[in-house]
Amino acid sequence: MTSSGHPLPIVPGQYQPALPSDRFIVTEPPDAEAVPMDVVFVGGGPAGLAGAIELARLARADAEAGGSLGDIQIAVLEKAGALGEHNLSGAVVNPVAFRALFPGMPDSEFPFRAPVTGERVYFMTGSRAVRLPTPPTMRNHGNYVGSICEMVRWLGEKAEAAGVNLFTGFPVASLLVEGERVTGVRTTPSGLSRDGSPGPGYTPPTDLTARVTVLAEGTRGALTQAYNARRGIGSPNPPLFALGVKELWETKRPLDAVIHTLGWPLPNDAFGGSFIYPLGKNQLAVGMVVGLDYRQAALDVHDLLQQLKLHPLLRPHLEGGEMLEWGAKTIPEGGYWAIPDRRYGDGVLVTGDAAGFVEVASLKGIHYAMQSGMFAARAIFEALKKQDTSAAALAPYDQMVNDSYITRDLYERRNMRLAFQHGGLYSGGIKAGLMTVTRGAFPGGRITAEPDADVARTADRVTHVQPDGTLTFSKLDAVFRSGNATRDDIPSHLIVGQDIPPAVADFYAHLCPAGVYERDGDRLVVSPANCVDCKATDDVGPRWTPREGGSGAKYRSM
Amino acid sequence: MKMAVCIKRAADMETRFKIAANGTSVDETGVKFDIADFDGFAVEAALQLKEKESGGDVTVISLGPDTVQETLRKALSMGADKAVHLKADTVPADALAIARVLADELEGGGYDLVLFGRMAIDAANQSVGPMTAELLGVPCVSAASQLAIANGRGTARRELEGAAEVLEFPLPAVVTIDEGIARPRLPSLKGIMAAKKKPLEVKPVQVGESRVTVTKMELPPERTGGRIIGEGPAAVPELVRLLQTEAKVL
Amino acid sequence: MAKTFAFVESRGGEVRRVGLEAVTAARHLADATGGGEVHALVMGAPGIAAKTEIIAAHGADVVEVVEHPGLALYSPEVVAATAAARIGAGSYRAALFSASAQGRDLAPRVAAKLGVALGADVTAFEASGDAIIVRHPVNTGKVIATLSIIGTPVVLSLRPGAVAAARAPRTARVESIAPAIDPASARVVPKELLAGNTAKLDLGEAPVIVSGGRGLRAPENFKLVEDLAAAFGNAAVGATRAVTDDGWRPHTDQIGQTGRLVSPDLYVACGISGAIQHLAGMRTSKTIVAINKDREAPIFKIADYGVVGDVLEVLPVLTDAVRKAKQSH
Repeated sequence: MTSSGHPLPIVPGQYQPALPSDRFIVTEPPDAEAVPMDVVFVGGGPAGLAGAIELARLARADAEAGGSLGDIQIAVLEKAGALGEHNLSGAVVNPVAFRALFPGMPDSEFPFRAPVTGERVYFMTGSRAVRLPTPPTMRNHGNYVGSICEMVRWLGEKAEAAGVNLFTGFPVASLLVEGERVTGVRTTPSGLSRDGSPGPGYTPPTDLTARVTVLAEGTRGALTQAYNARRGIGSPNPPLFALGVKELWETKRPLDAVIHTLGWPLPNDAFGGSFIYPLGKNQLAVGMVVGLDYRQAALDVHDLLQQLKLHPLLRPHLEGGEMLEWGAKTIPEGGYWAIPDRRYGDGVLVTGDAAGFVEVASLKGIHYAMQSGMFAARAIFEALKKQDTSAAALAPYDQMVNDSYITRDLYERRNMRLAFQHGGLYSGGIKAGLMTVTRGAFPGGRITAEPDADVARTADRVTHVQPDGTLTFSKLDAVFRSGNATRDDIPSHLIVGQDIPPAVADFYAHLCPAGVYERDGDRLVVSPANCVDCKATDDVGPRWTPREGGSGAKYRSM
Repeated sequence: MKMAVCIKRAADMETRFKIAANGTSVDETGVKFDIADFDGFAVEAALQLKEKESGGDVTVISLGPDTVQETLRKALSMGADKAVHLKADTVPADALAIARVLADELEGGGYDLVLFGRMAIDAANQSVGPMTAELLGVPCVSAASQLAIANGRGTARRELEGAAEVLEFPLPAVVTIDEGIARPRLPSLKGIMAAKKKPLEVKPVQVGESRVTVTKMELPPERTGGRIIGEGPAAVPELVRLLQTEAKVL
Repeated sequence: MAKTFAFVESRGGEVRRVGLEAVTAARHLADATGGGEVHALVMGAPGIAAKTEIIAAHGADVVEVVEHPGLALYSPEVVAATAAARIGAGSYRAALFSASAQGRDLAPRVAAKLGVALGADVTAFEASGDAIIVRHPVNTGKVIATLSIIGTPVVLSLRPGAVAAARAPRTARVESIAPAIDPASARVVPKELLAGNTAKLDLGEAPVIVSGGRGLRAPENFKLVEDLAAAFGNAAVGATRAVTDDGWRPHTDQIGQTGRLVSPDLYVACGISGAIQHLAGMRTSKTIVAINKDREAPIFKIADYGVVGDVLEVLPVLTDAVRKAKQSH
C-alpha cells in the first residue's frame, strides 16, 4: 500500500488543515433584517427537538399561569431537507428520556419499532462466531429497537404542535458573536455556483437573533468546535471519534435478538465491533463501528461492513433480501474525560452529541441527547424569566447535567474506551471487563489519550472485498442508497490540505465511506457531492463545513 | 394580474414504491410527500410573473385530505399570497371529476391566469388542466416550456417530438407548465415565517362520481436484460436489425 | 358491433406514425368486440386528403377528412371542437388518440367537451363488459396501474409505440367535412412551428437518448456520440456524472440519480460502465443498448442489446447503419 516516495507510516494530523474558525464565528452584529427569535436550536435531532419541545411547554405553562415570560419564539434550524434525513443511529434506545419528555404517555405510543426481546454477543473469527456472555454494559432488557429517523420525525410533529418554528433545509454557517456574547446565527446561502458566485436560484444567508443559541449540532459540531476553541474550553482528554457505517436490509429471515460482535473482520488493535438489530419482522440494521485511532492506513470501515455481511452469522439473514438504505456517521466516544469543561457561555449552550454525551460501552447517546436538551430548556426558561441569559445565568444547565444519569453513566465507564487505545482488543478487553465489574473503580484515575489525528498509520496488509452488487456494495452504490442527491455544481464544502501525498490520498480514500476521495495517480480527486456529512475526515483529515441546505443524505429509516 | 395555481401533493418519486395490501394503491408508509414536480414549476412561473409585473396576486389551490395543507403552506412559503384547500377524503382517478371540482372553485374567481403543472408526477394523466379550461370555457395552452404575458395576451412555446410550436392567446386563460420554465425556488426562512400568517381557506367539496377505477397497482417486472448480441463493429448489422424488428425503435 | 373512432395525428401535411398506431389500435379494438367499423379523422391544410389511402390501409372503414388553409399548424381549439363533434355524432365504444405532445393536449379537451372519462397514456387496453380496461404507468413508470373506465365513448390516448402500426387494408369511404368552428375564430392561435434542432432536444422529451461515459476516453470523442444522435434525428445527447464532473459536457447533460431521470424509447449507452448512480437515471428506458469494452460492466445486466467492443470503433459503423436505416424508412 505504499506509494513511491511517500512511505508509510503517516500521521494524519500533519496534513490536516486548521479549523476554519473565522467562518464559524463571525464577530459582527446580526443583519438589520434579521429574523428575531428568542431561542434558536442549531440542529433538529433528538437534543434540539427535545429541548425545543420542553421549552415551548414551559413557556406555555408559564403563560397559562399568568407568568411574566409572555410569548417566546423558538426556532429549530436543521440542515437536512426534512427532519431525520441526516440522523443515523443503531439504534437501541433507552426510553427514559422519552418518558421524561412525555410524562404519562405509554411506551407503546413512542416511535419505536419493537422492544428488545433477546440479546447476544459474539466473538468472531473469519468463519465462526463464538457466543460470549453479555457484558452488563450491553444488556438491553427494557430498551427498544428503533430508527432515529422515525424518532426525529415524530419529535418534529410534537415540536410543531407545541408551536416551535421548524426550519428544515437551513444549515447554520456561523455563530454571530458580539464581544463574547452569542447573539444569533447566520444560515448558509444556497444556489451558489461551483466557483462560489451566486447562481440561478441564489438565496442569500439569513440572520436570526436569539437571546440564547443552543448548539445541538450532533457529532463534531463545527460551531461547537469553533466556539470552544475561541473560549479556550478544553477537556481532560482530547475527544475521540468512531466511524459507524450502517445498512438497513429487508430480510426474508428475521432476527430474534439484538446482536453485537467483536473481533473479525477488525484487526486486533482497532477498537470497534458490529451491531445487528432486528427492526420488526422483515427488516434488520447492520453496522460496523471502528474507532478512528485505528493503525492501518488502508483500513476501510465501509469495506469491513461488506466483509462482515459475508460471514455465516449474517449471510443467511441477508441472502434473498435487499439493501434498502446505507449511511455513515461519526460517534463521539471520548466519554467522560472528553466532555468540554463547560457547556455554557454568554447566550449559548451545548447539548447532545456536540457536547460528547455518548456512552460508548453501551452504544447509547439518544437518551442523553434528549435529556441534555431538556435540561438546556429548563435553564433557558429560568434565565429568560430573569431577563438574564449571561453565562452565569445559564450555568445551572451544567449542574443539572452533572447531577443526572448523563454524567453518572459516563463517569462509571470513563476509562473503558481508553483502555483500547493502549491495549487493543485483548488486554483492552480484559481491562474493560474489570472496569465493568468494579463499576469504574479499576483502574481509577484517568487513562490518557492522544487525538485520533496524531495516531500514526502503518502499512499493514488489509484485504478488501470485491463488491457483487447484491450482498456487497461499492461506495458509489452505497452513496446512491443514502438517497444523496446533492447538486453536483455547488462549491466544495470540504477544506483539504495542500500538497497531499499519494499515501495520504489513499488513507482518505479508505477512510471516507462515501467515496468522496480518490487517488488518481499522484493526485487527490475530491467529489464533494458524494459527502453524507459523516465527518470522519473532519476528525483526522479534510475539514467539513456546512453547505447548501438539503444537501447530503436523505435517510428515511436509519 | 390575479393568478391561481392548482397544485397536488405527491409522493417523492425517489421512493422505492411498494404496493399496499389492497393491491390498488401504493403503500404510503414512510413515504415523503411534497408539491408534485411540475406543480412546483407552475408556482415558480406564477411568482416570476408576479415579480415581473411588480404586482399581482397568487392563490394556490389543492384538492385532497388535510395533508394537502402542508403542500399549500410550502407554496405560501415560496411566495404565494393565499391558499384554498378543497377538502375531500380522496382524490379520484377520474381527471374529469377533479377538473369539475376545480372549475367550480375557479369559476367567478376573477382569475386572469390559471396555471397547472404539465401533469401530476404521480398519476401522470396530463389532463386536468385542459379539462378545467374546457369546463371554464377559456383558452388553454398545455405543457408550455416558455410563457410570456403582455397587454392581456400570452405567448407560449410547447415542445413537440423533435420540434416546438409557438401559440398566442388572450387572457383569461389556463396554461399548464412544463419543467423548462424555471427551477422552483426554495422557500426562504422569512418566507416560511410569513407563510404562517397567510390565509389558508378550507372549503369542503363533494367530488362527483369517478368513472375511472383503479383495479390494480403493480410493480413493473424487473428488467432482465443481459443479452450480449456480439462483439465489435461486426455486431452492428444484427443490432440494427433487432432495433428495427424486435424493439421497433428504428 | 360497436364502432371505434381514431384521430390521426399529422404535422406539416404528413400523417405521423403515432396517428397510424391509433388507427391500428382502433382496428384491434373493433375486431375484438365483434368487428365494427373504424372511423378515422384526419385534419390539415389542403392536401391532407391525399393521406386517406394510408389511413385506410391501416384498417379504417371511414376516413373523415377536414381540409382547411387555417389548419397548416395544429390549432387546438379547432381540432378539439371538430373531433368532439364527430365523436359525439356517432355512437362509439371508444375514441383513440395518441399520447404524443399533440394528443396529450387534444384528448383531455375532447373528453371534457363530451363529458366522458379519459384513459391517458395507456400502454395496453381491452374491452371488458361495459368497461375498457387499460394499463397506465404511474409514478414515473415505477408503478403500473390497471384502470377500469366506463363511458360511451371512453376516450383513450395511446402511448407512442404501445401498438405497432400494422396494415389491415380496407376500402374506406372517404368523407370530406368542414371544421366544427372557423379556424379564424380560434382564441388560441398557432403562430409558428419551429423545426427540430435535434442536437438541442431536451433529454426529458427526446424519444432517443445517446449517452456517453468515460469509455470515450477524451472529450473530443463525444463527436461520435453527437453523430449517432444526429443520425437518429430525434435523439438527445446525455452523459454520465464522471464525464460532466470532468467538464467534458455541461452538468445539464448529466443523467443519473443526481442529474436527469429519463425514460426514452431507446437509450444507447456508449462507453458507460453503469454505476448505479447512472442506472438510477435511465433504467426505465424502454429499450437499452450498451456498447462497452468490459464484458463484466454492470450496464450489460440491464441492457436489452449489448455489444462488447471499443466504443470508438463501434460508433462510426453504427452511425452509418442508422443513417441508412433512417433514409430507407
